[in-house]
Amino acid sequence: MAAVPATRTLRWALAAIAGGLVLAAPFVVTDKYLLRILTFVGINLIMVAGLSLLFGYAGQISLGHAAFYGLGAYTSGFLAKLGVAWPLALVAGVAAAALGGLLLALPSLRLKGHYLAMATLGFGEIMLFFFTETEVITGGSNGLRGIPPAGLGPLVADTPQTKYLLVWAVACVVLLLAANVVRRRPGRALRAIHGSEMAAQACGIDTVRMKVQVFVISAALGGLSGVLYAHYVGFISPSTFTLHYSLVLVTMVALGGMGSLAGAVAGTVLLTMLPYADAIIPGLSRATVELLQDWESDIHGMVLILVMLFMPGGLAGWGRSFLARISVRRARSAGGDA
Amino acid sequence: MGMLSVQGITKRFGGLTAVDAVSFEVHEGTIHAIIGPNGAGKSTAFNLLTGFEKPDAGTVSFEGATITGMRPHRIVRLGLVRTFQNTVLFDDMTVLENVLVGMHVRTRAGFIGSALALPRVRTEERLAAEEAHRLLRLVDLGEVADARAGDLPHGRRRLLEIARALGSRPRLMLLDEPAAGLNNAETAQLAETLRRVRDSGVTIVVVEHDMGLVMDVSDEIVVLNEGRKIAEGPPLLIQKDPAVIEAYLGEEAVDA
Repeated sequence: MAAVPATRTLRWALAAIAGGLVLAAPFVVTDKYLLRILTFVGINLIMVAGLSLLFGYAGQISLGHAAFYGLGAYTSGFLAKLGVAWPLALVAGVAAAALGGLLLALPSLRLKGHYLAMATLGFGEIMLFFFTETEVITGGSNGLRGIPPAGLGPLVADTPQTKYLLVWAVACVVLLLAANVVRRRPGRALRAIHGSEMAAQACGIDTVRMKVQVFVISAALGGLSGVLYAHYVGFISPSTFTLHYSLVLVTMVALGGMGSLAGAVAGTVLLTMLPYADAIIPGLSRATVELLQDWESDIHGMVLILVMLFMPGGLAGWGRSFLARISVRRARSAGGDA
Repeated sequence: MGMLSVQGITKRFGGLTAVDAVSFEVHEGTIHAIIGPNGAGKSTAFNLLTGFEKPDAGTVSFEGATITGMRPHRIVRLGLVRTFQNTVLFDDMTVLENVLVGMHVRTRAGFIGSALALPRVRTEERLAAEEAHRLLRLVDLGEVADARAGDLPHGRRRLLEIARALGSRPRLMLLDEPAAGLNNAETAQLAETLRRVRDSGVTIVVVEHDMGLVMDVSDEIVVLNEGRKIAEGPPLLIQKDPAVIEAYLGEEAVDA
């Protein structure tokens, strides 16, 4: 099986190149606009890492993850404005999202498919209502203004570069931890649940407990992502935490391919950058970009439908068949004895 | 008392009594078969023994512990594992990964330990992979360990499901129609595998239609008809039992 080490080397090489690019970006990119978009990519990656475990690996859909993003953002933003130190506000934000996830998961994960989708969608809408109506805490539809930047004592992430580095440091750690999980025992158990809950139980997996755990983890990562967002932009309002955002997140995972963390990363990068294509493709006309932005929701919807219909393996499925072709070619050139 | 003791289990679905006050004992180190015409209640009985259905009456005890109504994953932890009539594998995972999932109850790594790649977790993963390879060799699937489970032909899927079940290192294994859809050569290989498994110290209960296989490998047979136990005994006696012959001939001739 010469194909396995070849794939592994390629993976490490790709990871090293990606890491280098990520680290170099704030020193090379002079365009503040582009750096901002790249920071949003990092924020979304944290969220999508969790959703990939829940949806991509365990096959449990959530149409309400924007609510956890909001729970993290509002909790941390509100506390930080009261003068609570950022690390504590961060912990509180993540804990609030995790708790929300637990309260939703306990009753809902007994439901399957469409019913789980409806329950999470309902939760998202309830939380959106909550964010809009509890004006004392959230500032209502006017939003919460003047959230201080993230910082610890004299270290404050208040420049575009430091903000970028903070977000990406967290994103890289989260992705690394998630990658460690998916290829070991818990990752296999999640994929087993996706494959067949009945067979997973017959293998001794406590499916209910496992699903609740992964739901809480994904909610906590959603909260973490929301905390970073709140302290990055300094202003949050309910219009960010909508069903549309939840759907975009699901689309990122689906586009990347079920059961692939690397695919989810690719899906997130592509869909986050799409409306700002002019920042990376220099020659792009203003009209084209405006078209992309005006049609953003429609594009997301179409991507989701097209992926479901024509490329159920997502980007990862393409990647896999590409790698398979390479290793077949290698095997042939090595004399066909592999 | 046997290793598995079934006392008067009953299951009703609406007006139909699928399993009606069935009792039997399974002794350690044997291969035990449950046979009967279609609709006799064999698969329901299996579901009752493994926690996938709760009986309306009766008790099931395994090695002295009452397991009636216990959730399936807890029963596996006690050492009683099952396979499915229509072979349910994790198709998108590799052959090796399927067996590793089968070893879930014997490994401990959780989310945190795995995320941090603790030395204890790495060691456990490495040992588990070695054991999984060993189990695959036991059922002659060693050379396809890295293939996608969904790409295996039918006969090999059955063997993989048995290897996966063995992954939990069970004391008792329940196989639901393991020979269904297999050709003669594959059935012979299955019989050989079952004997090898029994000799390694695992007690086996099979629900089976293939009379050739049942008469060939079983030490003891329970016959169900319309939810009731109509006969019990070693193969030679069962073949001559008038009630069994009538139950089968009343439907169709035994093909063996």
